[in-house]
Amino acid sequence: MKKITTRFGEVEYDPEKTILFPEGFVGLEHLKSFIVMPNEKNQPLFWLQNINDPDFAFVVTDPTNFFPDYRIAIGPEECKLLQITEDDDIYILSIVTITPDKKITLNLTAPLFFSPKTNRGLQTVLENSPYDVRTPLPEN
Amino acid sequence: MLVLTRKPGEGILIGDDITVKVIELKGGGARIGIEAPRTKKIYRQELYERIRQENIDAADWDFTDLDNVSKSLAQKDKVK
Repeated sequence: MKKITTRFGEVEYDPEKTILFPEGFVGLEHLKSFIVMPNEKNQPLFWLQNINDPDFAFVVTDPTNFFPDYRIAIGPEECKLLQITEDDDIYILSIVTITPDKKITLNLTAPLFFSPKTNRGLQTVLENSPYDVRTPLPEN
Repeated sequence: MLVLTRKPGEGILIGDDITVKVIELKGGGARIGIEAPRTKKIYRQELYERIRQENIDAADWDFTDLDNVSKSLAQKDKVK
């Protein structure tokens, strides 16, 4: 086990279980290794804690919880980076932003792919996307 | 920054595997064609900047925020 000191205190983790984002995040290429921190209070939300820069942690969720029609396709280059084939299981996640006025928005323009098989992930950018970088949660 | 003048149909090479060509000039905009290996990511600059900034903003939260978000989502579930 290894330890890092994050904004939320000391976290112990198993280096074997880290998720690798080989390309980092858009504009933040140094953010490559993450650990998953479960949020016990509410299952659809959890957070990815970065190891390279402990200041960085992202709250993420499955966007189809809120937007059931949200679909994105994975391309061959992305499969290559994740070391999977197009038939392998893939999770699509959105980064949650809590805006300064405490509203919750999802970044549906730049979602994450995650492969449970290879423990690899990447952030993709949807060009000409109908979705916004700060999409508010739908009203009930 | 290197500044070059190109006419429609003319291009530039960046290294030996990226070609950028001016296709046409129309209504104050320039249509640009780019040939690059598929592994090279190509973004509109403002979109790239916006996502980079959103990634930084998204990392700015604390446990109080997460608690409040969890609570408000739980309430949404109840409404359903």
